[in-house]
Amino acid sequence: MDLAPNTDQIAYQTATADWCRDNMPLDQARNRPAGLWKQLAEMGWTGMTSPEMGLNHATEALVFAELGRFLAPVGLLSTAVAARWVGGDAKVALAIPGDGKLRLFDAEDTTAALGIWNGKAGLTMVPGTIEPRPGLDLSASLSVIDLDLIPNPLEDPRAVHHLQLLAAAYAVGCADAARDMAASYAKIREQFERPIGWFQAIKHICADTAVRCAVARSQLYYAACALDAGDAEAAFHIAAAKRLADQAALENARANIQVHGGIGMTDDATPHLCLKRAHLLSFIAPVTTADLLKG
Amino acid sequence: MDISFSAQETRFREECRDWLHANVPCEKRPLDPTEALPFDKAWQRTLYDAGWAGISWPKEYGGRGLSLIQQIIWLEEYARAGAPWIGANFVGINHGGPTLIMNASEAQKSFHLPRILRAEEIWCQGFSEPGAGSDLAGIKTRGRVEGDELVINGSKIWTSFAHVADWQELVLRTEEGSLRHKGLSWVICDMHAPGITIRPIRLMSGEAELAQVFYDDVRIPLANVVGGLGEGWRVAMSTLSFERGTGFIADQVKHAITVARLIDDASASGAIKNDQIAGELAQLRAEVAALRAMTYRNISEVVRTGQPGPEASVIRLFTSELGQRIDRLAVRLKGQDILDFSYGDRDDTQEYLRHYAATIAGGSAQIQRDIIGERMLGLPKSR
Ligand SMILES: Cc1cc2nc3c(=O)[nH]c(=O)nc-3n(C[C@H](O)[C@H](O)[C@H](O)COP(=O)(O)OP(=O)(O)OC[C@H]3O[C@@H](n4cnc5c(N)ncnc54)[C@H](O)[C@@H]3O)c2cc1C
Repeated sequence: MDLAPNTDQIAYQTATADWCRDNMPLDQARNRPAGLWKQLAEMGWTGMTSPEMGLNHATEALVFAELGRFLAPVGLLSTAVAARWVGGDAKVALAIPGDGKLRLFDAEDTTAALGIWNGKAGLTMVPGTIEPRPGLDLSASLSVIDLDLIPNPLEDPRAVHHLQLLAAAYAVGCADAARDMAASYAKIREQFERPIGWFQAIKHICADTAVRCAVARSQLYYAACALDAGDAEAAFHIAAAKRLADQAALENARANIQVHGGIGMTDDATPHLCLKRAHLLSFIAPVTTADLLKG
Repeated sequence: MDISFSAQETRFREECRDWLHANVPCEKRPLDPTEALPFDKAWQRTLYDAGWAGISWPKEYGGRGLSLIQQIIWLEEYARAGAPWIGANFVGINHGGPTLIMNASEAQKSFHLPRILRAEEIWCQGFSEPGAGSDLAGIKTRGRVEGDELVINGSKIWTSFAHVADWQELVLRTEEGSLRHKGLSWVICDMHAPGITIRPIRLMSGEAELAQVFYDDVRIPLANVVGGLGEGWRVAMSTLSFERGTGFIADQVKHAITVARLIDDASASGAIKNDQIAGELAQLRAEVAALRAMTYRNISEVVRTGQPGPEASVIRLFTSELGQRIDRLAVRLKGQDILDFSYGDRDDTQEYLRHYAATIAGGSAQIQRDIIGERMLGLPKSR
């Protein structure tokens, strides 16, 4: 039993974080350069989950948490799941079906989209007529289609768990980003002649962001290992990880805005990017009460 | 990263399970403090005779010297088997003894440690005072040096097991006029010494296992000072840091067992058809799983680096608040039945009332949040 990353895994984590900091900073999430996807592919992130790469889910979870910390494109999630269960490293858009509509994210330059329909992962064609526009999450382009396309289901039931796990990792990263942004601001912003982080009302909000991150990240590690081990309760552990990570991302994003005060709710500042990302993540492979009570 | 236990660890788990299965007493630990004492002593003696006393203590001091992973396994199996809380032996085994191991002289160690393990000595902890709770450095109880004795005056409060204890780990001010963390000493106080008065305190759950202790010219040999005169703060802090790590595993397993039982009960009664109840149970189940993952992660970190990460205080805070959320849902599911509670009952209502201590004793939730904000996030100190 060992739930701490080993040296190799730490190296993956660090390399990912370093690259993201230099090439894909969080504060640029709303205007990513057109060439970003090509860069991501060159760095190997679009194909890292394909079976030939032989990476385990635990290592994937660590890397995707780092990508999520910088609000990397959500299209990487669907691409990674397709790479693992279909093969290749081609870009695959993220599909979220609902209410007779289909929402596609990051659907430029691709013909396929991956999503979950009635509890099963599936692939569907992206119509050539879509006109991507910005949505709530300014980091991802959105195309809304007014009918639900029929998907081709993926055979392996683990594909759903995989998407849930990677989306949970993104949410853990997003929660970390909000925690760190809030704490940094609380150290430099002064009111009443002292840093606002001196006040317990602010300090304890920040402490709670750290608690949520620790809880969600720990369960993420456990869930990834459970999937690797083919554990009988893997589905429950992944659902728990997804639920706790979604909550951490959303609640930390809210806390971060509160800690920032007025500037926190402006379009110019970065806190809303985490909030909006957290809302989007919560609709990707969402967890039901039944998922958490099963087994 | 990997969640599986080795073949050797699995064999060890079976060994624990088999022994516990054969030896855990059928009767519950009595609530009445005078009946509880012989029970606690007999159970500790059983553990000792089978080699399970002081699982984390080094072997040279008579302990079992288990590795951290083995400690987790033992503590998990112990809680799953429904084995009794070590009760009156708690302070000696988990606080006093470990502090002696780290700080005491050979004479002090060789006298007390074997007796603690065999339950021949009961210990209590005299840190908190009426005026010094969260702010422990505000201690006022004095010890005046007279020849080769300390003459002690003052009062301690919230001392668990004071009424049955033979010895107390007592922190007092031995340097007149000293302030805060300076001039304190950690001494082994004889609880049978003349001049000690014990006034029991009953909690709202009905238990009366703690007390206020008054010291009126109590004389203790200077040789009972541990770690040197004036070193009390350092010695006391070594005890507190010892508490972290594996200290909460029993609580965690109990939380998991309680949530599983609540889900079964709510399914049987139909309460689970209420979406809100089902949602809350689902949330608690996820949180209990994460708590175990967080403990495993923290212990893996200790195994790797030799140091518990700063997340130890997160575990403490999360365990205590999660336990209280579970208790609150348990009493909500009981409905009006909680109105029938009376002192001496041992049920969900009693647990609910007693667990208010979880966010107060040994560092309140507020103090834990300060620590997390300051030590993990680097926010400015407000105290
Ligand atoms: C069941 C039980 C068993 C115990 N057993 C022992 C024992 O065996 N030996 C022993 O020595 N002690 C024991 N204690 C005492 C325990 O450690 C203290 O109760 C604890 O340290 C809190 O101190 P206090 O009760 O004086 O509360 P206070 O310190 O007066 O706190 C009151 C409230 O103020 C808050 N507060 C205090 N300071 C701050 C701050 N700086 N910022 C924000 N909020 C603050 C607290 O969080 C709390 O909500 C026990 C307590 C309980 C309940």
